[in-house]
Amino acid sequence: MKLSLKASQRLWTFAFLVVPLSLYFVVVIGPLLATAWLSLTNYTFSAFASPEFAGLVNYQRLTGDDYFHTSLYNTLIWMVAALVLPTGGGLILALLLHGRVRGANVFKSLFYLPITISMIVIAQTWQWMYQPDWGLLNTLLKTIGVEKWKVFWLSTRGLALGAIIFAWSWQQVGLSMVIFLAGLTSLPGEMLEAAQIDGANYRQSLRRIVIPLLLPSSVVVIALAVINSLRSFDLVWVLNEGGSGSSTLAVQMYRETFKSLRAGYGSAVSMVLFAIAAVIIVIYFRRVRRLEHLYD
Amino acid sequence: MTRLHRALVLLLVPLLTFGAVASVVAQEEVNISHYFGGELNLENLNTVMANFTDASGISVVDSPIGHEDFKAGILAGVASGVLPDVFSYWAGARVQFVVDAGALQPIGAMWDAAGLDDVVPAGVADAATLYNGERYFVPFNIHYAAFFYNPKVWAEAGIEVPDSWEGLMDAFAEFEMQGIDPIALGSKFRWPGQFWFDYLLLRTAGPDYRAALMAGDASYEDPEVVHAMTVWQSLIDAGYFVDGANAYDWVDAADQVANGQAAVTLMGTWIGGHWKGDGLVPGEDYDFFEFPPVHPHLHIDVPQAGVGPIDGWVMTANADPASAGALMEFLVNDVDTQTLWNTSFGSISPNVNVDPMAYDVVAAKAGASIANAAVYAFNYDLATTPPVAECGLDMFSAFMDDSSDIAATLATTQACAEEGFMQ
Repeated sequence: MKLSLKASQRLWTFAFLVVPLSLYFVVVIGPLLATAWLSLTNYTFSAFASPEFAGLVNYQRLTGDDYFHTSLYNTLIWMVAALVLPTGGGLILALLLHGRVRGANVFKSLFYLPITISMIVIAQTWQWMYQPDWGLLNTLLKTIGVEKWKVFWLSTRGLALGAIIFAWSWQQVGLSMVIFLAGLTSLPGEMLEAAQIDGANYRQSLRRIVIPLLLPSSVVVIALAVINSLRSFDLVWVLNEGGSGSSTLAVQMYRETFKSLRAGYGSAVSMVLFAIAAVIIVIYFRRVRRLEHLYD
Repeated sequence: MTRLHRALVLLLVPLLTFGAVASVVAQEEVNISHYFGGELNLENLNTVMANFTDASGISVVDSPIGHEDFKAGILAGVASGVLPDVFSYWAGARVQFVVDAGALQPIGAMWDAAGLDDVVPAGVADAATLYNGERYFVPFNIHYAAFFYNPKVWAEAGIEVPDSWEGLMDAFAEFEMQGIDPIALGSKFRWPGQFWFDYLLLRTAGPDYRAALMAGDASYEDPEVVHAMTVWQSLIDAGYFVDGANAYDWVDAADQVANGQAAVTLMGTWIGGHWKGDGLVPGEDYDFFEFPPVHPHLHIDVPQAGVGPIDGWVMTANADPASAGALMEFLVNDVDTQTLWNTSFGSISPNVNVDPMAYDVVAAKAGASIANAAVYAFNYDLATTPPVAECGLDMFSAFMDDSSDIAATLATTQACAEEGFMQ
C-alpha cells in the first residue's frame, strides 16, 4: 500500500519524535508524576518501606511550617531580585558596550566569563570574598579604616540572603548582557538615524525606540533569570546551607528529603516550586506568542 | 564450515576470551566511597589504597564526596539500592540505621578468620562493630574531642591551663580582658556546635541520661537539658565565643586558635592533622586539655566521659565478600597502614599492634585520655538517628544565632525529635 505524501510525512515525523518523546517521558514527565505521587504519601527514606497514601497532609503541614514560609518568601524575593539585578545590570552593560567602544570585546568577555564557571566554583570564590577575617570585602572595609564594621555577611539575618543573591547576580549579569547585545545588534539602524534627524536625544531614543524594540530580548532575559532564580540551590548550599534565614524552596526540598529523610514532605515542597515555575513558564510562552503575532 | 562461519569464529574467540578475562579482572575490584577530603587526610588514604592494591592485586575504585554531602548521599544510596562495595562510616547510630535498612552484610566470618579479636581492643570492638548481635564495621581510627589551644598564646598571656570548671572560667575571663576571644567556634555547617552540647550534657547529667536522650527515652525539655543549655547560654552571654560563630567553619576556628586570635576551640583530634599539614608542631604549636567537670561540687557522681567519633568501613549487602572483606581486613589489620593513617590524621589506632611511640605527643595524650575516660561516647550526630540528628544540629546553629529563649528552642527540638524517632 502506498501512503500519501501527507501520511508519509506524518509517519516520519512520528518516527523521529518517538525517541526524544520517550526520553522526555522517562527523565521529565515520569519523575514529575512520581514526585507528585510521593507528595501525597508519608514516605520517609528511613522507613525503607513502600510509600503510603496520606492525602493532602503534607500540603496542610506546609501552611503551618515557619521554615517553609521563610523559604517561600526568600524564593519570591530572589525572583524579584532576578528582575532587577541581572536584568537591569545586563541591560546597562549591553548599552555601555554596544557600538564602537574601545576594548569592548575584552569587557564583554570579562563580564561573560562568570557564566562559564561552575556554580560551585562561584560559591567557593564568594565564600572567600565574604570570609569575615580575611575576605576581600571586610579587608576593603579595613583598608579604608572602618574595621569596626566587621560584617558577617553570611551569618547575619537579613543580610545573608542579600549577600547570596548578589553573588548569584554577579554570575547571571553576563548572560543578560549577551542577550541584550544580540538584541541591540539586530535593531534597525535607519530607525535610530531617523530619530536623530528628527532631533531626538540619546535618552529619548533609548526610551522611545531602543527599549521597546528590546522587548523580545527582555522577555528571554527575564524568563531565564526568574527560572534560574527558582533553581537557587547550589550557591546557597555551599555558602551557608540556607542558615541565618537564607533558605530557599530548593534548599528546603533538599534538606527535607535528603537530610531529614522526609521524602513525602520534600516532594510537597518541590511541587510548590514546580507550580511557581509552571505559572512563570506559561506566562512566558503566552508573552512570546503575543510577540510573535505582533512581529508577524 | 563456510568462510563466513570461520571468520565469525575467529572474531568471536578473541572477543569471548577478552570478555572472560575482563570479567575475572572486574571481580578483582572494589568500589569504595568515603568522606575523607583534602583537610581530612585524603592524600594518605590514597597511599593506603595503593598499598592495598600492591599487596592484594585487587584494584580500588574510589569516588570521594564532601564530608557533609556524604551523609545525605549514602542514605539516598541506601534508599535507591545504589551503593559502593565498601564505604566509610561512623560507628554508632549511623551504622545501626543502615544495618536496620538491610543495606549491609555482616563481616563476622572475615573478623574471625583474620583474628581481629586479638587486634582490636574488646571495648572498641563491642562499642563500634556490633549491631543487632553481629559484626558489620571495622574501625579505622578513633578521635577524641577536647579543648585545643596554642601553648605559646597561653604562655604569653601568662595563663595556666585549667583542670577545673572554675579555672576554665577564670582563664576565659582573663583572655577576654586581654582582648583575645576565649572560644573559637566555626558552626557555619552546624556540626561543630555539637561538642558543646555533648560535653555540657555529659558533664552535668551524665552518660546514662545522655544515652536515654539519644535513644528517645528522655525529652529535650527535661531539666537536665535545660540546665546544660543554660550553662552554654551563660558562656554566650559572657561574650566568650567569637562574634559570628555561624560565619566560620571549623578550619577558620582552628586558624583563629593557631594565630592567637582565640584561646581555645572545642574540636576533635582531626584538627591535629589539619595543623600538621600547615607545619605546626604538636606539643609546641598546639596541644589540648580535657573538658573539665562542670560544677563538680553539685554533681560529684557524674562519670567523666570522653566524646568523639570512630571512623571505619562497612561492606554493603551486594558486595563480593572476598575482595571487599580483604580490603576491610587490610585497613584495620595492616600495621603499616594503621600507623601511616593514624599518625598523619592525629587520631588513635584501634589496632593494638601499632607502636605507641609512633604517635606524636598530642595524639599519645589523646590516647591516654580515651583510655582513662569512664565512658567513651559518640558525638551527638553519630549517637542519635540521622533524622533526629538534624533537629539537634539545627538547634545548635540557631542557638549560636539567638540564645535568648531556651524553652522555645528546646520545645521546637523536642517536637522535631519526636517526629524523627517515629521515622
